[in-house]
Amino acid sequence: MKTSLLRAALPLAALAVLAVVPVFAIDSFTRHLFIIAFIYAIIASNWNLSLGHCGVFNFGHLTFFGVGVYTAAIAAKTYGVDPWIAILLGGPAAAVAAFLIAAPVARLKGIYVVLVTFAFGQLVMQLVLSQSATTGGAQGMVRIPYLRLGDYSFLKDYKLGYYYVALGLLVVSTLFLKLVIDSPFGKSLKAVRDAEDYAAARGISVSRQRILVLILSAIFTGIAGGFYAIYLRVASPDVFGFGTLSLALSMVLIGGVGTTYGPIAAALALTFATEALAGIRGFEEARFIVIAVAMILVLRLAPGGLLRLLELLVPKSLR
Amino acid sequence: METLLATLVSGLVLGSLYALMASGLSVVWTTLGVFNFAHGALMMIGAFIAWTISEALGLGLIAGIAGGTAAAAVIGIVIERFLVRPFYGSRAMLLITVMTTLAAMIILEKGALMIWGARLKQLPRLVEGEVSILGATISAHEAILVALAPLLLIAIWQFTVRSATGRSLRAVGQNQESAALIGIDVPVAFAIAFGLSAALAGLTGTLLGSIRFITPTMGVEPLVKAMIVVIFGGLGSLGATAGAAYVIGFIEALLILWIGLYWTPFALFLLMIVVLVFRPNGIFGGRG
Repeated sequence: MKTSLLRAALPLAALAVLAVVPVFAIDSFTRHLFIIAFIYAIIASNWNLSLGHCGVFNFGHLTFFGVGVYTAAIAAKTYGVDPWIAILLGGPAAAVAAFLIAAPVARLKGIYVVLVTFAFGQLVMQLVLSQSATTGGAQGMVRIPYLRLGDYSFLKDYKLGYYYVALGLLVVSTLFLKLVIDSPFGKSLKAVRDAEDYAAARGISVSRQRILVLILSAIFTGIAGGFYAIYLRVASPDVFGFGTLSLALSMVLIGGVGTTYGPIAAALALTFATEALAGIRGFEEARFIVIAVAMILVLRLAPGGLLRLLELLVPKSLR
Repeated sequence: METLLATLVSGLVLGSLYALMASGLSVVWTTLGVFNFAHGALMMIGAFIAWTISEALGLGLIAGIAGGTAAAAVIGIVIERFLVRPFYGSRAMLLITVMTTLAAMIILEKGALMIWGARLKQLPRLVEGEVSILGATISAHEAILVALAPLLLIAIWQFTVRSATGRSLRAVGQNQESAALIGIDVPVAFAIAFGLSAALAGLTGTLLGSIRFITPTMGVEPLVKAMIVVIFGGLGSLGATAGAAYVIGFIEALLILWIGLYWTPFALFLLMIVVLVFRPNGIFGGRG
């Protein structure tokens, strides 16, 4: 009884705190950090769905994010689509990309899944770089239309509006993930991860679950990408680079693979940590080294992630 | 006819480069079952060290190539010792070592950027002048790369077939417990495989540093191409990997001629998907 109470109460308490943060954090830079952290939290927690819960060695998750970024950017800027709609378009676009890569990957095993998903990301980046008439090439796209609600411009009020849109997206994405994970489908994913042969023997189609989990994990990642483009008003091929990939991966790892809230907590902590490091002179590049070292240490010392480690510290009676 | 010849020769140059990269990946894979994401970064470090010795210190190109190769080998052994060995026997070893070597790649790339900066660097060529092959002209330096690649591949192959050390690597790759039982020092075999692979990467980097610019991210593109090569050839055997490297080199050169530089990566990727759908372990088979 106590277990479920604590587990249900903690996320709600965290949400309540996040909801009142803008009251205290009135400068736009602190709010900006929170917004970026929320976006990374969506990326990391959705990546965790395929990587952690289903055991698909997907290293192309940031590709889904990048597809969302460019879909929204091109829709809003080139075709004049309303930015709200453009953000949402990132979801189905990323889902289509996920289906395209999932179909060949579903039958593969082990290292080949890593290689193909990774190569897919490089391919999409090549596409973005080469089609510079549409995507702006290496320079990217700038001055993408910003969000409005009636007469209200979201550029006003020190990013207050963006803060709540980002938080709202994170909440909806998390509810969606919880719904998927707790459903019979979610349990079948764990079966595919932990006992592939047994799952197949019980009538679960391993390939179909893998395809579905990749598509499901892409939806909110793509929407987050759409929001990222509209919020920053920039789309750049950097999103496909190793820097973003390693940052998001470290959030999944440090937060705890296969936990629900771990990657979200890690995304918040790591965004602020890296931004703080970036503020120190000469640390702009070194912060990636710090994160890489942290990733290795967590894998070595706390393979379940820091959240699991914290859980171990909580007395059994409270768990 | 002349364009086709020129294309084939440029495919030979690409194929030699990919063969050197992919065979290093294959050596580590067949011995340890680890895919080393830092392989491209080791190549890049080799090139930077060679540049420092040869240009910044002025000790000459040969000393630079030797130093770059040796430095890459040492870093490779360090990666094996601290980022791969601790995870031996772990159930998720494959995935964990992908992540730790990815972390190693980030550390090396960002470290190189901090040490050497973003300014473009280049090594001088081993020999100046040009060579004509079948009427197609390439630089003498590229010709050395083309000639050296098969020699090195044969040397590695002979090493794993004939020498006791090389055979012990294959034994460890086939069955670790049995290898240990007949007295093979398994950790030493792992270190040798990683060191050899890294030395190969470093040497490739020092040779490439005279043809392309030396930058912290110079290893990424060859690594991605080497990935496509190993998907084609499978990682299981050195011969299949090397063969696939040349096939990919030729296909890439022909595609560039037919459909242009922009669309070539897609065509290659599409081809790769088709291969995987029908042969999930690569065209030449090998273990999964």
